[in-house]
Amino acid sequence: MIPGKYRSVSGRAANNVNCGLHLVIQTSSLPEKSKVRFKQVEFKLNKETPSFSGRLLQHDLERNYSSRQGDHIHLASSSMPSFPILQRSSEEKILYSDRLTLERQKLTVCPIIDGEEHLRLLNFQHNFITRIQNISNLQRLIFLDLYDNQIEEISGLSTLRSLRVLLLGKNRIKQISNLENLKSLDVLDLHGNQITKIENVSHLCDLRVLNLARNLLSHVDNLNGLDSLTELNLRHNQITFVRDVDNLPCLQRLFLSFNNISTFESVCCLADSSSLSDITFDGNPIAQESWYKHTILQNMMQLRQLDMKRVTEEERRMASVVAKKEEEKKRESHKQSLLKEKKRLTINNVARKWDLQQHRIPNIAPNQDRKVSDSSQDPSQLHGSTVSAFPEETGSLDSGLTNDLQGLSVTDTHLVEVDGDTLSLYGSGALESLDRNWSVQTAGMVTTVSFTFIEFDEIVQVLPKLKIKFPNSLHLKFKETNLVMLQQFNALAQLRRVDQLTIDPQGNPVVNFTLWKYYVLFRLSHFSMQKINGTEVTQNDMIMAERLFGILAHVASSELPQYRMISILGDARKKQFRYLLETKGKKPGLVNEENNDSKRLVGENTNRAMLNYTTRDFYNERLEEIKEKKKFCKMYMEDLVKEATEINMKNEALQKLWPQMFIELVRDAVIEIRNKNSYMKLCLQQITDQN
Amino acid sequence: MLSPDRLALPDYEYLAQRHVLTYMEDAVCQLLENKEDISQYGVARFFTEYFNSVCQGTHILFREFSFIQATPHNRASFLRAFWKCFRTVGKNGDLLTMREYHCLLQLLCPDFPLELTQKAARIVLMDDAMDCLMSFSDFLLAFQIQFYYSEFLESVAAIYQDLLAGKNPNTVIVPTSSSGQHRQRPPLGEASVLEGVEASLFSQCLENLCDRHKYSCPPPALVKEVLSNVQRLTFYGFLVALSKHHGINQALGALPDKGDLMHDPAMDEELERLLAQVPGLVNSAPANPEAGCLPFRTPPRVGSPWRPLHHARKVDAESDGSTEETDESET
Repeated sequence: MIPGKYRSVSGRAANNVNCGLHLVIQTSSLPEKSKVRFKQVEFKLNKETPSFSGRLLQHDLERNYSSRQGDHIHLASSSMPSFPILQRSSEEKILYSDRLTLERQKLTVCPIIDGEEHLRLLNFQHNFITRIQNISNLQRLIFLDLYDNQIEEISGLSTLRSLRVLLLGKNRIKQISNLENLKSLDVLDLHGNQITKIENVSHLCDLRVLNLARNLLSHVDNLNGLDSLTELNLRHNQITFVRDVDNLPCLQRLFLSFNNISTFESVCCLADSSSLSDITFDGNPIAQESWYKHTILQNMMQLRQLDMKRVTEEERRMASVVAKKEEEKKRESHKQSLLKEKKRLTINNVARKWDLQQHRIPNIAPNQDRKVSDSSQDPSQLHGSTVSAFPEETGSLDSGLTNDLQGLSVTDTHLVEVDGDTLSLYGSGALESLDRNWSVQTAGMVTTVSFTFIEFDEIVQVLPKLKIKFPNSLHLKFKETNLVMLQQFNALAQLRRVDQLTIDPQGNPVVNFTLWKYYVLFRLSHFSMQKINGTEVTQNDMIMAERLFGILAHVASSELPQYRMISILGDARKKQFRYLLETKGKKPGLVNEENNDSKRLVGENTNRAMLNYTTRDFYNERLEEIKEKKKFCKMYMEDLVKEATEINMKNEALQKLWPQMFIELVRDAVIEIRNKNSYMKLCLQQITDQN
Repeated sequence: MLSPDRLALPDYEYLAQRHVLTYMEDAVCQLLENKEDISQYGVARFFTEYFNSVCQGTHILFREFSFIQATPHNRASFLRAFWKCFRTVGKNGDLLTMREYHCLLQLLCPDFPLELTQKAARIVLMDDAMDCLMSFSDFLLAFQIQFYYSEFLESVAAIYQDLLAGKNPNTVIVPTSSSGQHRQRPPLGEASVLEGVEASLFSQCLENLCDRHKYSCPPPALVKEVLSNVQRLTFYGFLVALSKHHGINQALGALPDKGDLMHDPAMDEELERLLAQVPGLVNSAPANPEAGCLPFRTPPRVGSPWRPLHHARKVDAESDGSTEETDESET
C-alpha cells in the first residue's frame, strides 16, 4: 500500500514526510526556477519486480530523500495484446491508495489500471508512452505527470474533470487541444514540446501557471480567458511579438528569456498590464539595445523585477530621464531631416529656375548682352512667393536646437541659411534677407558668405549692405553667379576686407581665363588675400599680378586728366553714399565709418581706385542719361558753329570786298574834298547843326 | 591765310574732317556732367586739360565705345593705350583666348562690342577654330587693322564677296576661274572651286574704294604693295598681310613696329618701381584728400619689400578707424 499522503497543489511550502511515497507539488515563490518543482521521494522497489522500478527521478536536485518503501507493482498481461494490465498488491493499494508511480518502467503504452478508481496522483515520467490512454476511468485524478515521454497529441483526458496539475513536458506534442473538460486545471506544463500556437486554453479560468518554454512559439496571443493566470513561462521560443497580455488580470510573472523580441513595440501590450511585476527579456535581441533598460522601465512603471533583478528607484528615475531625452532627440532629428529635405528641395528648385533663366535669355530679351536681372517677370516665380511655415518655427527651433544649425527662411524661390560661420544665399530673392534684422551675435559669427544661383550684378548692388551687416565676412564664395568679365572683380574692392575668394568654375566662365587670378590679386591687392580657390597666395603670385597689370593701374591713375579722376571717384563714392543715405537713422559712428571708407577708397591704392565696375544696367542707364546732355551739347555746338561760320563768312566776305570798299571809301573822301571851300563850308555847317 | 584748299571746303565739312566738332561737343558734354567738380577749379583749366589729354591720347580711357569709335585719332589712341597697358601680358608670353582679350578690352572700355574682337580674332585664326589661343602681338596687330579700318574692311568684304560670286562692281565681268595656285588657306564663303580672287582685279576695286570712301583707309600705295606680291589671295589672307605690313602700321602711327612691340622702356621703369613696392602697396599713406586734388603719384614706400603679407594687413587695420578692433585681434 502506498501511504497516501501528499499535498495537493496549493502553493504552500512543502512539507517533508519521511516515509512513503511523497509527492509534493510546490510552486515556489522564488523565481529562480519557474518550473513546477517536484519534490520526490525516492524509494526502493520490491526486488521481485525489478522491471517495475518505480523510482521517481528528482526534478528538484536540492531535496533528496531516500524512500524506505518499495512499491509492489505487478504488471500482468491482459486479454488485449497491446495493453498490459497493472495490478498492485493490496498492501500497496492500502498504503498508497491515491498515488501511483510508474516512472522509468519502459512503458510504451499506458497500461490498463484496474481497481484504482481512487487514484489522485499518477506518475508516468520517463517512459516511452506515445498516447494517453486507459486512464479515463480514473476520474478522481488530480495530478497527472507524463513528463519525458513520446506523446504526440493531447488526448484521452476528457473524463478527468478533477485534474488540477497536468505535466506534459518533454514530449512531442504539436498543438494544444482536447483540454475542454479540464476546467479545474491549475498548472499546465507543456515545456519542451513542439507547440507552435497558443490555442484552446481560453476556458481554463483557474489556470495559474502555464509553462510553454522550449516550444516553437513565434508569437503570443489568444490569451483571453485565463483569468487566474499568474505565471507564464515562454522561455526559449522564437517569439517575436506578444499580444493580449493585458487581458490577463492576474499575471504577475512573465518569462520571455531567449526569444526573438527586438523592439518594445512588439511587446507593447505589457505596458497596459497593471498586474505584471516580474519580467525577463534576457537572451532577446532587445536586451542588447542601448535603450533597453530604460525603455522597459519607462513603459512599465509597475515592474518590480527585471531579468531577475530588483528595479530600484534610481533606475526608474534614470529611465524616465533618458526616455525623455531620447524622445526629444528623436523629435529633433526628425525636424532636422525635415529641414534638410526642404532645403534640398528648395535648392533644386532655385537651380532649376536659374537654368531656365540662363537658357531663356535668347527667347525673352532681344539684346543678348543684357543679363536677365528682371526675374520678377519670370512667370515661374509667381507660384513660389509663398512664405513657408519655417519662420514661425524658428522660435521653437532656437530653443530646442543647438547653435550649430539654424534654418532661417525657406521659400520656394530662394533659400537663406546661416550655418555657424557660413551664410549661404541661394537664388536672387535671398539677397533681400540682408535687410533683415540680424542679431549681432549671429552676424558677428559669420565669416563666410556663399552666393549661389544669383547674378553677380545683383550681388554687387547689395555689397554695401553686406559690408555693414556682416562685418566679419572674410571669405566669399561664388557659384553659378555669371561672372564673365574681369572687370566685375572691381566691384569687390568696395568691401572692407576679403581674405579668401572662391569662384566655383560652375556657372562662372571667368574662371576659364588664364589671367583671372592675377587680376583679382592685382585689383584687390589692398586686401592681402590669403587664398584664392583654396590655393594659398604666394609672394610670387602677387609679383606676377603686379607685373601683368601694374601698368594698367599706373596709366589709370597718372594719365587720366584730373576731372576724369574726380568724376570716376565721384561716381563710386556717390554709389556708396546712395545706400547709406537710404537707410535711415544714422548714428554718428556710422557716419564716421563712411568717411573712413571714402578716405580709404581714396587713400589706399588710388591708382587702382579708377578701376571700378558698374553693372551693365547701371551703365546703360547712365548712357541713357547722358544722351540728353549730348543732344543739348550737339545743338549748342551747332549754334556756336553756325555763329562762327557766319562770322567767318562775313569775315571772308569782308576780306573779299574790302579792297573795293576801301577804294570807294577813298574815292568818296577825295570827291568830297575836291572843292576845299565848299568842303569847309559843309563841315562848319555840320558843326553848327550839331549844336 | 586765304589758302585755296581751305576755302574749297564748306565750313561744316572742314570742321568735320578735322573732327573738331566731335571734340568740342564731347568737351562740353563732359563739362555738363561734372559741373560741380569742375566748377571748383575753373572751366578754362578744364578745357586745357581736356585738349591736352586729347593730344596725349588719354582721353579715351574708360570712355564709352561710341566715343572711342568716333574719330580715327580716338581709335589710334585707344590702340595705343591698350598696347601700353597690356604689353606686359604679351611680354609674359601668355596665350589667351579671344574672350580673354575681349575682357582686357573691356577693362578699358566697358561696353566694347564682342563682334569687333571676334572679327579681329578671325583675322588671326584665319576664320578657323575660334577658341584657339592667340599671342598678344598677333592679336594686337589684327585688332588694329580691324578696329581702325572697320568700315573700310566691311566694304572690302562686300567687294570680295562680289568678286567671289563673279560680279565685278566696276568693270566687265571677268571670269575668275581656273589657274589658282593652291594656297594653304581655306577659301572664304561657300563651296567655290576657286580660292580667293585675282589680286590685280581686287587691287583695282580697292583703289576705287579708297577714292570714294569717306572713312579712313590705308594708304592706297601700301595696299597696292600688299596686293602686288601675290597672284591670288583670300579675304583673310589679305587682312593678315595688311596687319603684318609694317608700312601700314607706321602709317597708322598708333603702335610701334612689330619688332618693338614688347619694348617700352619708360613703362618698364615705372613697372619696376611698382614691383619694388608689392608688399607695401597696401594702403601706404592715406593722405587726406581734398576735393579737388588727389595724390596719385606713386605713394611713398612703407617698409621693406620683403615684409610678410599679413603684416601688411595690420597696416590696413590701423587705418580703418576705431571700429575695427576685431581685425586687429585676428592678426
